[in-house]
Amino acid sequence: MINLHGLILADRSSRDLRELVMCRTSSSLPFAGRYRLIDFALSNLQNAGVRDVGVIMQRDYQSLLDHIGSGKEWDMSRKRGGLRLLPPFGSNGEYEGIVDALENVRGYIEDIKQDYVALMRGSLAASIDLGDVMYRHVHSGADVTAVCTSGAPEGVHHRFLLDGDGFVKEILLRRSGPGEGVATLEVYVMSKEMLLKIIDSCDTALYHKFHRDGLGGLIARGGKIGVYMHDAYYANIMSVDGYYRASMDMLDRAKRRELFPEDRPVRTKGRSDVSTYYGDQAVSKNSLVADGCIIEGYVENCVVFRGVRVGAGAVLKNCIIMQDTVIEAGVQLNYVISDKDVVISAGETLAGAPQLPLVLPKGSRV
Amino acid sequence: MSGGNSVNRKCIAMLLAGGQGSRLYALTKDVAKPSVPFGGKYRIIDFPLSNCANSGIDVVGVLTQYKPLQLNSYIGSGQAYDLDSSDGGVFILPPYQSAGEKGSWFSGTANAIYQNIAFIENYEPENVLILSGDHIYKMDYSDMLREHVQNKADCTIAVKQVSMEEASRFGILSCGADGYINEFEEKPKQPKSDLASMGIYIFNWKKLREYLIADENDPNSSKDFGKNIIPNMLAAGEKLWPYRFDGYWRDVGTIVSLWDANMDMLGNTLMDLFDASWPVRSKSPIKPPHYAGPDSKVLHSIVTEGCEIYGDVSNSVLSNSVYVGRGAQVSYSILMPGAKIEDGAEVRYSIIGENTVVRAGARVGSDPDGSADWNVATCGPGIEVGAGAVIKAGAMIYDCVPAGEGRDEQ
Repeated sequence: MINLHGLILADRSSRDLRELVMCRTSSSLPFAGRYRLIDFALSNLQNAGVRDVGVIMQRDYQSLLDHIGSGKEWDMSRKRGGLRLLPPFGSNGEYEGIVDALENVRGYIEDIKQDYVALMRGSLAASIDLGDVMYRHVHSGADVTAVCTSGAPEGVHHRFLLDGDGFVKEILLRRSGPGEGVATLEVYVMSKEMLLKIIDSCDTALYHKFHRDGLGGLIARGGKIGVYMHDAYYANIMSVDGYYRASMDMLDRAKRRELFPEDRPVRTKGRSDVSTYYGDQAVSKNSLVADGCIIEGYVENCVVFRGVRVGAGAVLKNCIIMQDTVIEAGVQLNYVISDKDVVISAGETLAGAPQLPLVLPKGSRV
Repeated sequence: MSGGNSVNRKCIAMLLAGGQGSRLYALTKDVAKPSVPFGGKYRIIDFPLSNCANSGIDVVGVLTQYKPLQLNSYIGSGQAYDLDSSDGGVFILPPYQSAGEKGSWFSGTANAIYQNIAFIENYEPENVLILSGDHIYKMDYSDMLREHVQNKADCTIAVKQVSMEEASRFGILSCGADGYINEFEEKPKQPKSDLASMGIYIFNWKKLREYLIADENDPNSSKDFGKNIIPNMLAAGEKLWPYRFDGYWRDVGTIVSLWDANMDMLGNTLMDLFDASWPVRSKSPIKPPHYAGPDSKVLHSIVTEGCEIYGDVSNSVLSNSVYVGRGAQVSYSILMPGAKIEDGAEVRYSIIGENTVVRAGARVGSDPDGSADWNVATCGPGIEVGAGAVIKAGAMIYDCVPAGEGRDEQ
């Protein structure tokens, strides 16, 4: 078994996700027709042979708990070790950041049996070969290995400037858009001791930031941060607009293949759905449709989750329809994101705009 | 098993899944009939196993014999059916060797149960439900058990009304004025009734045990429930009760019946797979949702996750991970998991086995032309139909067909 322990940060949601995180944390945001964002982190760990994983949660984690359960789907329901859910101990408001969250579970980290830890966000959609990252980490002599992209992740992110040996020489904090160096996807592999050292080095109120003080301090002390480039598809979903664009990316075969490679399957909670049924008048063009749906209407450029009903004569274009939503006959939707369990009554017409999709919150009745 | 600590059960199930299903020909060349894919998401054995789970029967012995490997890995711990409980579960029971014996294959349905008496005794059940792994239906076995107990029957047989024309293909039962069965005939030429046995039995275990042992010692017996055990019980005056079932029930033992039953799944009037109160469970593939391309056309069809469709599909059942290329046409066909229909190929009235590839421009099967020898065409699993090859209606293909060739072997 791989000498690596998973630590998933599922504590925070970007506020720009608005209605989509009203009743959940972003790690349990439904994505690509049948998944939740945390499935990617869990599956990356599982595919690397990691079975002992801690999930750090802070608030709005009911749907996350419901989704991951005992971790059985990812082979993480074990007699010894396995999946551990780490809700806050006591109630001291929100975690201020990564360090705060890690400090809260310091006892758990100290008890980790593996020598190495993979720290990652539960909201990053990417297929990363963590076994390979671990191998490179051990052989590169780095103190920390960061998974990075040459592109620019959505929203505010941190960038690394590299020296001639490929190690990080400078951290550019809180950038947005393309820029110098590489951008971190905030997936880090390091030894357990190094993680504890970083937490300890951030132990004062003034020096409490993981990237600025923890990693920055490590470089200042002569530590080495290596970089593992991830050039395949990823989505760091921070806003409704970003969620919409990443969802539409899934209609692209090449991107879909990169996020769901044959040899590293992404697992999720099963539902025992039926196959999807298409009626006599159904049309489905350039769309991703999960199991358990009954499609009688017209669907184009859409992502349709499990158990959705699309009535006869309904026309859906450029929409994301989450699980068990019922769209009755004759409804017309364009640029709409419908959350779970929404009912749209016959004959309604709803439209958003390409840059501002209309979001129908969970359980809405239209 | 429960490690010697027997756990008393009212009823446990024994599922006969050892049959080859020789009338499915190429489709069962490498797998047992119960693991043949069905209805998009399922394999045949999902139906009886889901019925057990939904009926609250949590100990199921699955008797395997013919090509059991795929079946074993498919059923696994029974987790997909929520049957992996701490003191119950699904148990695969292959034939085995005992001390001082040579060991032997199951020589008949009754012999298969006889050889597993020790397994059954471990649970000290009052009753044993005997199932077969080749029927598509949803049945509440707990309802059947209730009737069995209420009528103090030694054996209860699930029966279904069939037309008199069909009756000679089944085991036919007649009942007396008191409602109990008084006659049983296996495939009678002149049926006396239209009540057909569905091959689903609940036996009082103590009684069944006696009859199994007696039958095993009878050198002239063919060790079969329908031919020996049931007639022997009737002759001895035991109480046999008919449990009447009027829901959807299909035997899928032949190519045509398998094709027919799959087509039945396209309407939800015969059997509603969407009914959440009686879910049919299966081991789901780990695949993204299916993708329908910009020029695809999918009408009156069932499509499963992992499929990619760029061509035309109508009146068809697609299992997971099927690929239909640009300009390809698929109609009235069953495409099993991983089947690949390349660009411009035509598949009509056909069954395409698992992972079989139909290369570009090939033609498999044809629409009915009214001729007597027209039939559904079948390509077995794991083969390749070469580019431009032609497979005629009714053909049964076991091996690869080179590009450009025609085949019509039956």
